[in-house]
This record gives sequence, C-alpha cells and structure tokens, in this order.
Amino acid sequence: MVQQLTAPSGCGLRRKEEGPVNCQPSSLPLRITNDKRESGAEGKTVIRAEGVTKIFGPDPESVLPLVEQGKTKSEIQAQTGHVLGISNASFELRPGEVFCIMGLSGSGKSTLIRCINRLIEPTSGKIYLVDEQHGEREITGMDANELRELRKHDMSMVFQHFALFPHRTVLSNVIYGLEIQGRERKESERIGQEVLELVGLGQWSHSYPHELSGGMQQRVGLARGLATEAKVLLMDEPFSALDPLIKVNMQQELMRIQDELQRTILFITHDLDEAMRIGDHIAIMDDGEIVQIGTPEEILVNPRTEYVANFVEHADPTGVLTAGTIARPLGSTDFEWVGEADGLKLFARRGEPDIRFGIDPDGRLGKVYSGEQAIQLRDLHEVLERPDTEERPERRSDLALHCDEGTVLRDLLRGRSHATLPTIVTAADGRLRGIIDEPDLINGILEKRGQGETPEQYAGESRAETG
Amino acid sequence: MSDLMDFLRILFSHPFELIDIPVREIITEAVNWVVSTFRGFFRAYVSPPVRAVMETVQWVLQSIPPLAFLIGLFLIGWRAASWKVGLFAVIALAFVGFMGVWDAMIVTLSLVTTAVFFCILIGLPVGILCSRSDLFYTVVRPILDIMQTTPPFVYLVPAVMLFSIGNVPGLIATIIFAMPPVIRLTNLGIRQVHKDFMEAAIAFGSTPRQILWKVQFPLALPTIMAGINQTIMLSLSMVVIAAIIGAGGLGLEVYAGLERLNIGQAFVGGIAIVLLAMVLDRITQGLGEKAPGSRSSSE
Repeated sequence: MVQQLTAPSGCGLRRKEEGPVNCQPSSLPLRITNDKRESGAEGKTVIRAEGVTKIFGPDPESVLPLVEQGKTKSEIQAQTGHVLGISNASFELRPGEVFCIMGLSGSGKSTLIRCINRLIEPTSGKIYLVDEQHGEREITGMDANELRELRKHDMSMVFQHFALFPHRTVLSNVIYGLEIQGRERKESERIGQEVLELVGLGQWSHSYPHELSGGMQQRVGLARGLATEAKVLLMDEPFSALDPLIKVNMQQELMRIQDELQRTILFITHDLDEAMRIGDHIAIMDDGEIVQIGTPEEILVNPRTEYVANFVEHADPTGVLTAGTIARPLGSTDFEWVGEADGLKLFARRGEPDIRFGIDPDGRLGKVYSGEQAIQLRDLHEVLERPDTEERPERRSDLALHCDEGTVLRDLLRGRSHATLPTIVTAADGRLRGIIDEPDLINGILEKRGQGETPEQYAGESRAETG
Repeated sequence: MSDLMDFLRILFSHPFELIDIPVREIITEAVNWVVSTFRGFFRAYVSPPVRAVMETVQWVLQSIPPLAFLIGLFLIGWRAASWKVGLFAVIALAFVGFMGVWDAMIVTLSLVTTAVFFCILIGLPVGILCSRSDLFYTVVRPILDIMQTTPPFVYLVPAVMLFSIGNVPGLIATIIFAMPPVIRLTNLGIRQVHKDFMEAAIAFGSTPRQILWKVQFPLALPTIMAGINQTIMLSLSMVVIAAIIGAGGLGLEVYAGLERLNIGQAFVGGIAIVLLAMVLDRITQGLGEKAPGSRSSSE
C-alpha cells in the first residue's frame, strides 16, 4: 500500500531508520540562516525561497526600496500606510524534512505559506521548486495554467480550520484532488480508501465531515493533502484548532505517517513545543521577518534575539536537548588520567578516583571500573526498552549506561532510574565524547545549556556522517 | 420689471409650474414604439415557448387522476421534507378538491410551475454571472429593484399590448415579477461561500469552472432554494393578479367572485390559493434543508 503513496523520487530511500536515536534532529544538516545559505555537502533542496517580500496596500511596489533599506514594519506603516506582511524571507526545505515556521499571530507565517503556492502573490522575491522529474522550476514565474498543474501534482495543503467540503462525504473529500487531476473514479476511490486507512479513518469513508470530531476532521484534511501524492505538503497551523490532548496525538500520528511516506512538509505553528517536537528545522518569524533558522536544539541553546529567547524560556527541553550537548567533554579539566589497564587508558573525574573509564587506542569505550572491578556496561536504549524487571527498577550502582550523542534529555533522565553511575556518551563513530552526571542533567533542564562546546561545532561532524 | 415680479411670485407660490417634464407622454410614446416595433418579435419568439411549456405542464397535470396526484404528492412531501409535510399536503389539496375548485387549482399550479421554470432558467445563469462580476451585478441591481418594486398591476398594460390577453401575457408578467429572488439569492449564496472552502479548492488546482460546480454551487444550494421558494410565492400571488388580463385558474375564481360580489366564490378561491401556497412552501423549504450544502450551517 505504501508504495504508491511514496513519492517516486529518491525520498523513499532516505527513510529514517528505526529507533529513537535517529529521531534526533541533530543528525540533519544544520545552519541555514536568513541572510546566508550554506550549500552543505548534501545540497539537495525541494523548496527554495529567496528574499520573499509581501506588502499589503494600494501601491506595494513603491514601498520595496524602504524594505531594502531595512526599515521595520512599524516604520513603513507610519511612513506609507502599507503593511509589511513578509520582509525578505529566505529559507530552503530539504527532501523529506519537516520545516516549521513558528511565530505569533500577525507575524506573517500564514502569509508566507500562502506565497509558496501563490494563494497570495508575493510582492517580490523568488520561490523555486526542485524535483528530479522537472529539475528546478520557478514558482514565482508560473502562469495560471502552470500554477494549477503545480497545485494539482506537486503541492497540497492542510488548513487550520480543516476546510472540508461539507457537502461531500469523507471519502469524496479525500479524493477531491484526484478528481481535479482527472483520475478515474474507481482508482481515485481505491487510493482514497487507502489513505483513509493510513490516517486511521477507514471506517468513516461514507460519513459526512460534520459527523466527525475535530481531530478526525483534521485527519481527513491530512488524508486529502496526502492523497494527491504531492511531494510537498503545506500545513497551515493544522493542529491549532484542536484540544491539547488531541493535538499531541495528531503530532504523533503525523510523525508516524511522515516516517512512512517521507514527504517534504512546511508546517506553520504558533506553538514552539509543537515546532520542536516535529520540526527538523525551525524558522522563527517576528513582525514579518525570519529572525532565526536552525534545528530545535540550536534554537533552544542559542536563541539569537530576545524575541526567540522569550519563547525558548518556556519551552520543554527534555525532548530537544541531546546528550552531545549536555555531556561534560572528555577533554575538559574536570577529568584526569589515572593510568592504564588491560591495554586501555583510564581516566576519572577529579575527586572521584574510584570510578574509572577505560578507552582503547582508537578512542572507543572499553571498560568501566568501580574500584578494581570491571562493571557491567549496557546501552541506555536497550535498558529502557527491555528493563530487567516489570516493576519499578532498582537503581544499580554496578551498572554503567552508555548512549550515543543524539539521545534526548528525556531518555537520559529515564536512564537515571536504572543506574546511579554517570551516563557515558559516545559519538556516532563510537568514540567516547564525555559523560553526564546529575548536575549536568539538572543544568540541561534549567538552563537549557550544554557544557563547553556549542552545537554549531558538532554540526560539521554530524553532517559528514549524514552526507 | 413686472415680468421679473411675476416670475418671482410664481417661483414662490407655484414653483413646479415653471417646468413641465412630460413623463406621461414620453412613456406613452416609448411603450407605443416598443409595442409597434417588437410586437411581431415577441409574438413570434417569446409567446410560443412559454405557451408550449405551459400547455405541456397543464396537460400532464390534468391527465393525472386526482387520487394518483394526491398519493404522488404525499410521496414528494415525505421525501422532500417529512411524512408530516406529505400528510399535510394531501389533506390541504383534498380539501381544495372538496371545495370544488380542483380543476382551477391544477391550472394555477401549471401557471406557477411554468413561471418558476422560466424564472430558474433565466435567473440562475444571471445570478451566477452576477456573483462572478461586480460590474455586471452593478448593472443588474437597479433593474432588479425596478422589477421588484413596480406595482404588479403596472406590468399588465404593456403585457396585454405586446401579447394581447390570455394566459401567456399573465405568465410573462408573472415571470418578470417573480424572477428577482432567484437572481439575488443565487448571487448571494455563491458570494457567501466561505473563503476557506474557496482557498482549499484553489490550493488543489481547481479551475474557476470546477470551483463553481464542485464547491460554490453545491454550497450555495440552500440559499438558492430559498430564492426559488420566494419566487414560487411571488408567482402565486402574481398569477391571481394576472387573472385580470385573462389568466385562468384560482385567480379567476377570486376575480370573478369579486366582480359579481359573490363573496363565497371569492373566498373559496382565496382559501385554495393559501393552501396551495403553504403546500408548495413546505415542500420547497424541505428541499432546501436537505440540500447537501446546508450541512455547512452545522459547522
């Protein structure tokens, strides 16, 4: 069933691997900024927006020079009476990623997403769509016909208030896009039914939208967006109108479906936690301007403006911060070398010479000693998935857990209920990076800061692996 | 000097005697011109289709045996609205029959059906055009105002001059008088379709025509049905007035009763008209509520 839903491009091959580790955004290319784009080793984009500007008012063109001079929204409004909707926004979407645009209402995020499929005409700037079949196409240069073809086949949309057609059944809503594509009725209905199964509404195909709850209606909206097999899915605050519980549920559903289908998603939200939960990259908008673009962790750790910092202050870091960020690095002055044993170099934390960590000549973790005895080493995720007992775990002092640097804070915290010893963090190549003790965890939760290195410095390494 | 004094005296005492706009003469001239120029055209191209539709409808309705008619009416009322409406319709029209004006009722019903048929045939496309072009609507709007506010009797004179007397001029006057609600509410219904639905339709690459037929029209249908309902009511009232220029049916009963001061006959006609109006109203309202687009109201 999945085959025909998956985009024919190479996206399917880039599927995320199973397991919680790889859900981590840190394994994706980092550092795209508003002013300067870095064409990373991967370099592939699906959507590229360059200097998109939207001005509302009687003569938008006349205001453009002011925007170029860097005047703010309020200055332009006072001077000309025009409203600056979006100011010079540039960003790009990589294949298969979820790119969130986050901002308060009135920050221009809904206008921006509508510029991508030109439901709203940008005043200036260029937007490109890249795919294997057609190469690079400039959306901003398309005529009405090309634009319709684009909307039919390459981009679909999910709306905040669902916008399901009330006179059509659920199935008939889902196949609306296929109908417009001119597909055969029977084939459309078969695909529609499959997509409905995918969103868990297989039973409801002949109901009408008003018979469904809000969450179910948005599943139909999502199914309608997925059914056309468009590579790009534009989602305009799709879960904002839902109850908090249903909202979280829908986010999980979206992630599950995204794991399966690997579409490229542009997701608008006003909820930073939502953006951090589902976004591979987040762009934060303030007054029509993109003030920061980065991975959730980058934004959490390094908010660039006060506006971003205010958001971040209330964000939940446990699903975003990674072990690599909060680990106390091996090279720091907190550690000292304490000798050699079994061909391993031993080091220990200052003041705690009893617990010694041994690394082999390649820098990999060998053994951990408590006193003279080597103690058991287990992978954190394995322990979390297969605990020794069903009951409340005992905190063992003869067990050391290790995890890779992409492990999120939440898992590290859960690991603490199994072992009292510090958690050992390894890089993706197996080299030992550092250890995490209780104070590091507490610091991570409260300060949302890591130890020593900043995430930017990791970026170079992790890109080399994903590239 | 005295000329100026005279002028000022008249200006203060009888200002309207200073200028005389000969509207009466202009209209008479204009109507005469229209009648003499277009009479042939109207009689050759407008009368025949109206007459043909009316006679067909009348022939069909008259050839249905009353009992079968009542059973069919119950089924229609039941399907369109509810079994209560069906039952009410049967009782109401059976009563009309027992009052002895069944045949007149059938004639009136065929006149109304024909008028409404032409109102929809012309009004619906005009209404759709109005909804799509502000300029067109700006032009049409004053015409609709004139059509609706002109007293119905005023239509009768030119209608008679163009089409002589009988059912056809009565129908033409009825069509003109009853058409505005279809146009207005078609326009309104389509314009009222929520921006969200339009945006969704556009975002999936629909052409303007696809948007019209797949989204706007179905969603506007309840409003359009309300317009058709009003058109039916207006044409029913006009059909009575049209009896003055020779249209038959229940209107004739009322008109003849009044002329001969036969109060009983006039009232029988009047009661039958009211009952027929209620039946048609309930059934078309039921249809409007069952129209698929009416579900949007529950959101």
